[in-house]
Amino acid sequence: MHLTLFLPFALLSLAISGAPAAAQEGEAPLPRVLDEAALPGVMARAVDDFILPGYRALSQSTTALAEASGTLCETPSDATLDAARSAFTDVVGKWSAVEIIRLGPALEQNRFERFLFYPDRKSTGLKQVQAIIAKGDESAADIESLRIKSVAVQGLGALEFVLYGTGSEALSGGEGDFRCRYGRAIATNLETIAGELLAAWENPDGIQAAWKKPGPDNPLFRDDREAATELLGILVHSVEMVKDQRLRPLYAGTIDGRPGRDNPKLAVYWRSGNTMASLSANFRGLQALFNGAGMENLLPADSRSIAGSVNFLLKTLARAADRVDGPIDAALADDKRRATLSFIALNTADLLDRLNRDFGGAIGLGAGFSFADGD
Amino acid sequence: MPRPLHTGCAPTTCGTVDRGTTAPPRSPSPLWGGVGEGSAAGTRLRLKNQIATKTLIDRRSFVRMAGAAWVAALESRGAFALNRTDAVFASAFMAPDGRYGVATLTEAGEIVDRTLLPARAHGMAFSPVSRRAVAFARRPGTYAMILAIDRPAEPVVITAAEGRHFFGHGCFSADGRLLYATENDFAANRGMVGVYDGTAGFARIGEFPTYGIGPHDMALSSDGRTLIIANGGIETHPDFGRTKLNLDHMEPSLTLVDTATGALVEKHALPPALRQLSTRHVDIGADGRIWFACQYEGPRNDLPPLVGHFAKGEAPTFVDLPERTTLALANYVGAIAVNRREGLVGLTSPKGNAAVTLDAKTGAVVREERIADAAGVAAAAHGFAVSSYCGSFKGHPNAVAWDQHIVRLGG
Repeated sequence: MHLTLFLPFALLSLAISGAPAAAQEGEAPLPRVLDEAALPGVMARAVDDFILPGYRALSQSTTALAEASGTLCETPSDATLDAARSAFTDVVGKWSAVEIIRLGPALEQNRFERFLFYPDRKSTGLKQVQAIIAKGDESAADIESLRIKSVAVQGLGALEFVLYGTGSEALSGGEGDFRCRYGRAIATNLETIAGELLAAWENPDGIQAAWKKPGPDNPLFRDDREAATELLGILVHSVEMVKDQRLRPLYAGTIDGRPGRDNPKLAVYWRSGNTMASLSANFRGLQALFNGAGMENLLPADSRSIAGSVNFLLKTLARAADRVDGPIDAALADDKRRATLSFIALNTADLLDRLNRDFGGAIGLGAGFSFADGD
Repeated sequence: MPRPLHTGCAPTTCGTVDRGTTAPPRSPSPLWGGVGEGSAAGTRLRLKNQIATKTLIDRRSFVRMAGAAWVAALESRGAFALNRTDAVFASAFMAPDGRYGVATLTEAGEIVDRTLLPARAHGMAFSPVSRRAVAFARRPGTYAMILAIDRPAEPVVITAAEGRHFFGHGCFSADGRLLYATENDFAANRGMVGVYDGTAGFARIGEFPTYGIGPHDMALSSDGRTLIIANGGIETHPDFGRTKLNLDHMEPSLTLVDTATGALVEKHALPPALRQLSTRHVDIGADGRIWFACQYEGPRNDLPPLVGHFAKGEAPTFVDLPERTTLALANYVGAIAVNRREGLVGLTSPKGNAAVTLDAKTGAVVREERIADAAGVAAAAHGFAVSSYCGSFKGHPNAVAWDQHIVRLGG
């Protein structure tokens, strides 16, 4: 398969014609107006049916991880190590579903970078984690001093190295004591951050009130249009994130019939084998938001098919990500799974276009939604 | 009555990406004074002059894209035919099929010519001396393209240096020989000015700091000796796309930098009460006065000051806009331009669907228009040319979406 997605410039060699602009005016879509009657309900459902349940699930999952980490330290064994790893994987899944919410409390106090520091291309974060373990730096095993350390040593990436990286086998015996206590501190830190995110959104007078009632006195959205822009922005920016920050660094596609230079070790969660499970959870999270909020209701009756297309793509992408199973380096060496990765890359770009142009235009946010995000 | 600004941003006590040391002030710090309605009026605060010089987490090399690809993407005829005498404006656009380009336009807002670009462009600059224009890729962009006017010549494409990306704006030196670009040293979270030599194929010959975070627009003083830089104060990193990473601890500032030495001449950091007010665009008046426009990242129901001015050596002053105008601008000025001949300042807000004209002497609002998705603004023969995302340019409809800025080609 010749993958042009990562070579978008090739498409541009088909230069536009020199025809006068006026000749294309007939193609302009009819102006659309935001459905202001539907918008408040959609915003409320986004909070009540996606954001709050998502953060609640994350909070519970991190609590379970902290407990499993504690049990591992107190009674190290293969079984308790497996349980801690399993709890880690569960947190990765829950986080991947809600990490798409890169706004509000998640952006405050560097929370989302503290929860997951990624990518770490020069392995600077990894070196810091390794140094902590090598030196037995007790300040990293204490939650209060850990949370003010570098963001790279207190989140999922650091915990993944603790649980799966070189030397992690010591965790099932007594010799991994410090490593285990450091991991427990990270897990507790994640539990704390997840708790803060949930509390911020649960506060009835906080951000959820702003989301539910756009208006002149609202600290976030002066009108429905601004609220709709934020909501669609979650979808558009998250698909961009998956396409540009998660998939592209690891998968180079096929160029002139040959595999490009992949970077399996740039993949998120490659050590724990959760790379594609995380992508799948990203897509499922986006679909849960799209449907949970009832974003279809913002579409005019004659454009409802756009929601069908978006749903079909999200479902297809999540399932395709599930099919790329096993360690990511093995998947990259397998033609069948490479083809699936190419399929995901191509359809992620298509999904972006449908959200950005089709959906954004149809609900009245302009011809190209992200075109209008200023600068 | 306008509500007072929220001042209580939670201090960042949790872990941060460690971002370096504090350098001592290089020059005596002027004071920030005379802030306008709705702000902490009367507060006089000593400036900070903090320059991040190193980072403990030197993460993420930047994936550079091949510059040759952009050249290949140009139309086969190569040179951009800017030599029509009736082309007086240039602006970046998005075509109906989603592709991006740059167009020139007449005084009436009709397209003269256009060419494709491989990625979205943002700001442009023009040198009346060398008759060259430049279009910068939108942040976090890796390209800029320099177009020769009046003569057939292949456009020159420059790519961002390793560890840098463009922020979407820049300007030429007074003699037209050098090109200055605002850039991000993203590993160190430090604004930089990249210097490119137009006599040597726009090779990158040096760089110096902007003495702030997240520089955006930049202008050259009338005497050509000082760059006036709007450091928006917002941290971004290419690994996170356009996500604004530090909205709860922004550091906006305006800096004046000596073009000969790269040394800091003046720095005006916004006071803590206005630290969520991103200083983003600048232009220069006929008298050399610096005009700047802002975008507010704080609570939407605040009424922050949005536009101000100052002369070299004096503290910036905000224009005391009427509440109606502040509301019309939706706390977000997308572009600013000065019509030097007529002594007017033009502002646009795509979020507020508004174009506002001020008297440069008094700051009084002389005109306020509702223009859907108002994007760029540039001085016209009379008043201003205003473009829109919907395609209108000076009221003339076009089947493209105009990007955020317009450059006037000469005079």
